[in-house]
Amino acid sequence: MAQDKNTTLAVIEQFLKLVQKEPEALTDDLPLYGEGLGLDSLEAAELSAVLEDKFGSDPFSAGGDLPQTVGDILGFYEAPATA
Amino acid sequence: MATESPGTYVPAAHYDRVHGAWRLIMGEEFHYGSFATPHTSLPEATAALTSRMREGAVVEPGDRVLDVGCGTGHQACELAQQLGAQVLGITTSGRGVAAATALAAEREVPGARFEPRDGTDNGLPDGTFDVGWVLESSHLMRDRRALLRETLRVLRPGGRLVLCDIVRKRAIPFSEVRARRGDFATLRAAFGDAHMEPLDQYADILRSLGAAVTTCEDLTAATLPTFAAWRGNVASHREELDSLIGSVAVDQFVAACDILEAFWMDGTLGYGLLAATKTG
Repeated sequence: MAQDKNTTLAVIEQFLKLVQKEPEALTDDLPLYGEGLGLDSLEAAELSAVLEDKFGSDPFSAGGDLPQTVGDILGFYEAPATA
Repeated sequence: MATESPGTYVPAAHYDRVHGAWRLIMGEEFHYGSFATPHTSLPEATAALTSRMREGAVVEPGDRVLDVGCGTGHQACELAQQLGAQVLGITTSGRGVAAATALAAEREVPGARFEPRDGTDNGLPDGTFDVGWVLESSHLMRDRRALLRETLRVLRPGGRLVLCDIVRKRAIPFSEVRARRGDFATLRAAFGDAHMEPLDQYADILRSLGAAVTTCEDLTAATLPTFAAWRGNVASHREELDSLIGSVAVDQFVAACDILEAFWMDGTLGYGLLAATKTG
C-alpha cells in the first residue's frame, strides 16, 4: 500500500484546490489546521474520505494519532505500519 | 441568523432573494424562537427570545449598544426604535451593511447606524458602549475569545454583554464527523461555515476576561420547536421559495432542519443564552 510521495501530494493538492485552501508551498512541516492549511474538522473528514477512496486506507482512520501535518499524511503512505 | 461568510462576494440581487426566502421561513426576526409551549407561534417565540436578550442587556434610553454580527439590521432598528438606544451594528458583510442601512432609512430610525467591521477585531475605542449584543452571530466567528475580548473591551465598566447562539453539548469525535460528513456538509451549505462551542466555554472565557457572568442558560428544549415552525413555513410558501432560491436550496434547507432537530434531540447541539457584566 506504499504510495509514491508525488501521487499522495497530488491527491492532497487536488482536495485543497476544491476547498480553496491552497498554500503557497505544500511542505512536509505545514500544519493541517490553524495557521497552516486551516482545515476544519469537516474538511479533515472529507480529506480522510478522499484519501481512503483513492488508496484504500487513510491516516485519519488508522486508529493511531490523527495526522497534524502534511508530512504525517505522506509518512503514513510511505511507511505503512502493516506493510 | 447570518448566512454569509466573511469575504464572500454576494451579488445584490442574489442576496436580496436569499434574504427574502429566509424571511418567509424564519419570520421578520430572523432567528430561533423560545417556545413556551409547542403551540406557541413562531413570531411569539422569536419575540420571547429577543425579550430574554433584552432582560440580560437592560437597555435604557440613550444607551450605546454595539450589535455584533448585525445581519440585516432588524434587531438594531428595534433596539433604537423601541428602547431609545443609540445602536451601532457591525458585520463583515458589505451587503449586510447596505441592507441594514436601507432598513434604518426606510423605518426612519436615526438611532441605528451600521459599519463594516469584524467582531473579533472591531477597531472601536475602549469603553464606549453600555451594551454588547451578540445574537446568533458568534458561531460564524472562529475565534470566540477574540470576539468576547473585543466586545468587553469596548464596554464601559458595568456595561453588559448578552449573547445567544447554537452551542455544542458534547464532544464530536473525528470518527463521527467523518461518518456523518454528508450531514455536516448539508448544514454548512444551508447555514454557512459554523463552528459551535459549549455554553460553559463562553462563560469560562468571559470569567477569564474579568467579566461577571449573570446568566448562563440552556434553551435547547425551548428552541426545539423552531425547526417544525420553519418547516411549516417552507410548506406554506413552497412555490414562492422555489422561485426565489430554487427547489434544490429549499430541499437543502429542510434537510438541514431535520439534521439540526435530530442533533437537538440527541444532545449533540442545542441553544444557549449568556449575560455578563464588565467589572472594574
